[in-house]
Amino acid sequence: MEGRIIVVTSGKGGVGKTTATASIGAALALEGNRVAVVDMDIGLRNLDVVLGLENRIVFNIVDVINDRCTVRQAAIRDRRIENLFLIPASQSDNKDVLTPTGVNRIASLLKKEFDYIIMDSPAGIERGFENSVTAADEALVICTPDVSSVRDADRVIGLLYARSITPKLIVNRIMPAMVAKGDMLSHEDVMEVLSIELAGLVPMDDQVVISTNTGVPLVMRNESKAGQAFRRIARRLNGEADLPIEVPGAKTGLWNRFTHKFGLKK
Amino acid sequence: MILDNDPPVKLKGVGDGFWITLDPSKPEQLLKNQLIKLFERLKHLAVNARVVIDTGGTEGYDDLVQNLGDFLKTRFDVGIVSKPPEKRQVAVERIRQKDLDRGWTRHRSEVLMLRGRIRSGQKIEAKKHILITGDVNPGALIIAGGDVMIMGRLLGHVHAGYPDNPSAVILALDFRPTQVQIGEYAAAGLDDKKTDRVEFASVIDETVLVQDYLGANPFGRLPWPEVV
Repeated sequence: MEGRIIVVTSGKGGVGKTTATASIGAALALEGNRVAVVDMDIGLRNLDVVLGLENRIVFNIVDVINDRCTVRQAAIRDRRIENLFLIPASQSDNKDVLTPTGVNRIASLLKKEFDYIIMDSPAGIERGFENSVTAADEALVICTPDVSSVRDADRVIGLLYARSITPKLIVNRIMPAMVAKGDMLSHEDVMEVLSIELAGLVPMDDQVVISTNTGVPLVMRNESKAGQAFRRIARRLNGEADLPIEVPGAKTGLWNRFTHKFGLKK
Repeated sequence: MILDNDPPVKLKGVGDGFWITLDPSKPEQLLKNQLIKLFERLKHLAVNARVVIDTGGTEGYDDLVQNLGDFLKTRFDVGIVSKPPEKRQVAVERIRQKDLDRGWTRHRSEVLMLRGRIRSGQKIEAKKHILITGDVNPGALIIAGGDVMIMGRLLGHVHAGYPDNPSAVILALDFRPTQVQIGEYAAAGLDDKKTDRVEFASVIDETVLVQDYLGANPFGRLPWPEVV
């Protein structure tokens, strides 16, 4: 069976596309799939750092497109997680070296080798975005609960629909305390505007910074709430579609459920 | 030989008053005598009654009507004396008749009707009216030559009556646009709090005014359905 290409995109920069790509890719690999994560951010590569593989890069995606190496040569195997591979971006080129035709060619090669190909799209809706979504079967749109991010995500969703891709939404960096006080948009507010299927909700987590700086995938850190959320998203993508969405900060303890049931608390 | 049997003054009861038809070419004194004869028979019924003096559509007898009215008021204590209401103009009457004859069955609609969600960055343009059953997200742009009706949330930017028709209206079930423009008049920074009311914007006194739709009921006041 051919693999699935999932593009991770957002429109706005800095909302957690790269972290999400690395985490979901790693989580899918931990579930036993052969996974390639592909950095499409030519010129501003980051995914290798987040995965802690920056010092092992020999070839990159531009080399594959220009036939300087094969896909297998460019794919870097992660030593900690079996079946996780990275295809890095080039740091010295710009987005114009890739074309949708070239990307489609690589995509068909990757589909034969891997179960999942997760593409990390650059910010923006220009050439880099076009290259990233051209071969995608599915899309994950990342947005944070703020007005500007929602606006950009909305634009991207429109562009994806125009390409007949039905995107799913990940709301990242939810701060339950601020949502409770009404200082931050809740995921319901975000859904009210975007109204697409929800893939998962990810809470704000300090562990993300540590993970990014040390290059240890978030999903390998059991104490990370964001990591757990990404693992659940991966399970949902991997066939467990009815795995319930966990709302960050919602109290689910036994005592709370008990008091809620008896009408003592809402 | 023509026999003029018609009396110069005729009286008939209409609703809560009386309708007097008279021949204004007759001398005023004769008309007054006739009126006295008729109104004395009415006795107390004439008190405070509404009286319409109809000169049969002939112009130029305003003074006569005025005099006779004053005379009736002082002599018989009638209430209001007026001339018959003006007839509708022929053109208006024709439109009304057409509408009453269900003119819309032959009318080709120029409404662009869309269903769904208009997202950020999307632009909807139409020469005439736009009706959207769905939501308009922030960052979306709607431009219509006529009215814009949103059966849902309006959070985007709307220009109705483009380019210069200030009689257009913008209506939304949840009216919270980032900016509205009607013809040449723009309004931004509108109150973006959610209300439970259906609101609409229209231009009144060269200003875009947002009002409660059911409260103002701008179209419910129209006497008959119009094709727009």
